[in-house]
Amino acid sequence: MASQADVIEIIYRALRSLNEELEEDKRVALAPDTRLFGPDASLDSLSLVSVIVDVETAVADELGRAVSLTDDTAMTQEVSPFSNVTTLADYIVRQLGQG
Amino acid sequence: MGQYDGKNVIVTGSSRGVGELLTRHFLDGGATVIGVARGPARCEHERYRHHPADIAEPAEVQKLFASLRTSVKSIDIVINNAAVLTSQYAMIMPAGAAQAMVNLNLLAPFLVAREAAKLMRKAKAGRIINISSMAVSLEPEGDSVYAACKAGLTTLSNILAKEFASFNVTCNTLGITAIETDMLKQLPRDKIDAVVARLPIPRYATADDILNVIDFFASERSGYVTAQTIYLGGVH
Repeated sequence: MASQADVIEIIYRALRSLNEELEEDKRVALAPDTRLFGPDASLDSLSLVSVIVDVETAVADELGRAVSLTDDTAMTQEVSPFSNVTTLADYIVRQLGQG
Repeated sequence: MGQYDGKNVIVTGSSRGVGELLTRHFLDGGATVIGVARGPARCEHERYRHHPADIAEPAEVQKLFASLRTSVKSIDIVINNAAVLTSQYAMIMPAGAAQAMVNLNLLAPFLVAREAAKLMRKAKAGRIINISSMAVSLEPEGDSVYAACKAGLTTLSNILAKEFASFNVTCNTLGITAIETDMLKQLPRDKIDAVVARLPIPRYATADDILNVIDFFASERSGYVTAQTIYLGGVH
């Protein structure tokens, strides 16, 4: 089963891939508390889509399980999975743990 | 050297009709064709890869692309061709037949285009071409759901064109007129002849009529052409 550290590395990889396309002053910090969505987010909406696609694809290809990060379950969490890198990793680990 | 040397092309509904025609065309042009159809392969070619799948099922599309992500390095061109037609007066159209048309003619192109776009995004290039129909414009009785799905396909294509423009993926639509296919054989010939007779160019489409527009949309030179629909035969 995937650990939080495994999933955080997948998220960081998606952010690195995104950063390759961004101007230097717009690059996103690779840190557990980097905000992904909301008023203080480091990412615009298109960048967030790009990260979601990369993370979903990597989870499916590397961990062998499809997770949807934009379905009703994700959108109705009390704390948004996209609050920051850690909350996203925690959400994915929980989803992977649910059979 | 072929026009499509080294390209990987997905053709949905590759086993019959226009899909079979396009599969042959891309193979002749040097491409590797990933053919998708519910049934077994009908094409034998060293560069033809058949993937049996019911693309009206989201899970099967996911499975298809999970397999492609490990087996091909890129997808260059997608032809959303698979379609089903049940022509019937609305009041006696079985709900199941209507649902099947929505699933295959509208939902499936969306699912295939978005999964392909995820691959094309990395390469920052791609062509998505949707096959539509003169039924959108002619609105023939009996084709309510089919024509509505095809009209929706144009809207779908135009919005995807906007969403995918930032990574140089174009989305265009070709509205074909009547051509000799298995789908056409389902319809009364005299009815089709009458429709064709009223077209601005009153004849059946030829293979080359279709291939000409496909080549235009698929061309590397057409990177500035997106969210466009071209109808054959003067239909608009």
